[in-house]
Amino acid sequence: MGLALAQGRLEAGLWLASRPGPALEGGLALGEGEVFVRLLPTRFGLGYLGSLSLGPWGFLAYGLQGEVGEGGWGGAVYGEGGVGPLLWEGRLGFRPKAAPPLFLEEGLFLRLALRLRLPFGEALGLELARNTPWRPSSFGLQPGRAAWLLEGSYALRQGALLGAGLFPWPYALLGYRDGILDFTLRLGGINRLEAGLYLGEASLFLILSYPFAGSVGAWLGDLGLEVGLKAASPLGEDRETLYAWVRYAWRWP
Amino acid sequence: MAVKKSGLFLILFLLSSVFAQSVQEILDRVEKNLSTPWQAVLKGQILGPDGRPQEFLARLYALPQEEIFRIEFVKPGSLADNFTVLTKKEVWNYLYLTNQLIKSPRERAQIQGLGFAPAELGNPSAFAEKLDLRLIGEVSTPQGLAYRLRGIPKEAGAGFKEMEVYVLKPDPRPVRFLIRDEKGVVADLEVGEFKRTPLDKAALLRYPKDAQVVRR
Repeated sequence: MGLALAQGRLEAGLWLASRPGPALEGGLALGEGEVFVRLLPTRFGLGYLGSLSLGPWGFLAYGLQGEVGEGGWGGAVYGEGGVGPLLWEGRLGFRPKAAPPLFLEEGLFLRLALRLRLPFGEALGLELARNTPWRPSSFGLQPGRAAWLLEGSYALRQGALLGAGLFPWPYALLGYRDGILDFTLRLGGINRLEAGLYLGEASLFLILSYPFAGSVGAWLGDLGLEVGLKAASPLGEDRETLYAWVRYAWRWP
Repeated sequence: MAVKKSGLFLILFLLSSVFAQSVQEILDRVEKNLSTPWQAVLKGQILGPDGRPQEFLARLYALPQEEIFRIEFVKPGSLADNFTVLTKKEVWNYLYLTNQLIKSPRERAQIQGLGFAPAELGNPSAFAEKLDLRLIGEVSTPQGLAYRLRGIPKEAGAGFKEMEVYVLKPDPRPVRFLIRDEKGVVADLEVGEFKRTPLDKAALLRYPKDAQVVRR
């Protein structure tokens, strides 16, 4: 009875690539957080996400995940918080072998990020990462990044973003967002364009990088569609291949 | 002597019950007076999470028939561009820095750290639900004579010890909030630029289209 009434979510998908199969992700509210599962034919993950809302001041969140499957066990811990002008995120994990589309990272992966809001509404960002996608996978799967990355950025309140990074060679960062359109361009040590168009119930995403890899995706309400080329490379089985991912998300109550 | 004492108690008891009735009456008047859409500016000082006083400025929008309240923060800088929307069932907190809209069920959305739920300041029935209110007198304010109500949270964990609310007599609506914890005043806020105005429900529920919606 309690379970039937508990708040939850389920995202069921079909992964079409060299090793096609179902991809399921589900979560059920428990206490102040959520227990979640991630299930692929080759890998299973179980985890907990906890959070504490600080209202308009921000939030604190943490999580842990354990997994078993092809290649052996893996796991990750993460913590995130935004209080007043400061936002931070820390993530650390290990996985012997990637299993797209739900387990993208391979080897030791980590991300440390800080963002600070300045008095006139600008934001300073600093990030150190290894093997971690730039954005959540709802924006499209990411061409992998096996090297260390260090990036600094400065975002104006009006939406422009400027920055630079090392990957491991220097690159420049340019971006823009206005609530409907956003794009980020990195040129130099990495060449990559990410763009999003947000139209309320529908959102469109594009990722293009050179050497060539790319994906286009769309969310139409709760239905997610994505096709890409090499986008999960060099992770997992999908080096050099075309893939498609169709998924649908339910939420209750 | 004993008779005199009990007589005094009787008078006090009667007086307090008269005041208790008046509180409900005042709240009813506020509710009736604020039953059409209105907007206002909330302005003053609050204690930040670091315990230092900060200038506070926010815009408040209310659609009472639909039970929708929206507060847009302007100051302090750490809250600027954030907003909170209160609906019948949910609390939405938009965080500019993460571009996230955090939606929580109302019963789970305890607003900690702030000491009060600013979006509820225009909602007298929410007050009466959470606070044990008493009429403690009258006070003159720049906007006119006002009732002074003092409220003690009914349950622990409210984040403050007591809240004083000034309710304008000629135009029954809150005009000042004084919130105290054990150490003293944590928020002193005045309601200004009050006006009744048609408001669009969609505008009150609006958020950036590229915001990531997170349910917690």
